[in-house]
Amino acid sequence: MIDDETLDRQLREAAPYVDDEGFTARVMAKLPAAPREPQWLRAVILVGLALLGSGVAYLLSGGGRFVREGVIQLAGFPIWLLLVFAFGCGLVVGAFAVIVAIRKTPEVRDVARLRF
Amino acid sequence: MELTDADLVARVLVDDDQHAFGELVRRHQSTVRGLLRQLTRTDIALADDLAQETFIRAYKNIRSFRGEARFSTWLYRIAYNCFREDARRRKEVVGVDEEQWQAEHDPQTVDPGLRHDLMHALSLLPLHERTAIVLCCQNGLSHDEASRVLDIPLGTVKTNVLRGREKLKRTLAAWGPN
Repeated sequence: MIDDETLDRQLREAAPYVDDEGFTARVMAKLPAAPREPQWLRAVILVGLALLGSGVAYLLSGGGRFVREGVIQLAGFPIWLLLVFAFGCGLVVGAFAVIVAIRKTPEVRDVARLRF
Repeated sequence: MELTDADLVARVLVDDDQHAFGELVRRHQSTVRGLLRQLTRTDIALADDLAQETFIRAYKNIRSFRGEARFSTWLYRIAYNCFREDARRRKEVVGVDEEQWQAEHDPQTVDPGLRHDLMHALSLLPLHERTAIVLCCQNGLSHDEASRVLDIPLGTVKTNVLRGREKLKRTLAAWGPN
């Protein structure tokens, strides 16, 4: 009589691989549609928070005096320094935007195999 | 670098990423359909219907997957529950009593035209032993994992595996070498 190990090995070998043959596609076709958040609500919340934050900052800063003083200080800087600062800010914002875009795009994520 | 099952599940949970769920289906469809074919005694149409139901339920209930066990173990549990519910619906007898089993596997009564192979011998086992053998011996689940899939005590799983193995060995010995 065969031993347990041989029997288990034969059982594993006897189990055939079942070809997909469209099974996955049939399952995916029957899945319930992914619920979509209302995009307008997200925009309203973001804009509302931005306006609220701006209003609070304006009131606490005594009518935006800090903005005027900040602009006067910036005007005193050399042009090349202002250009470098603007370029740097643009790079940072752009990099952030690319990272967020990759995370939101499944096809690009799979190709890039990047993990954040 | 290939994404793990846990990564794919996370994408389904966080991003509602159906593309990620499709990858999970592709990875596990063979083992789930294979398991159900064994449980239904190779009724392929029924097994595939149950497998489809398994994956749809998995998608709808994916938030209940806590990651404590392997994703495949969780899927097997859903598949087994689908099978049991279907069997109850069909009022199928889910167990073959010992005398009937002995009569079926007696070499003197077995139709010589039937294939005397391992899979046929497996199909002759009672459901609880057949399930335990398929999960533990064929699909490599531990006894603990199998007990969670089948929702039965660990000792019962071990007993079913032991008895199933003994019956398979006796059947194969009675049929002789192919």
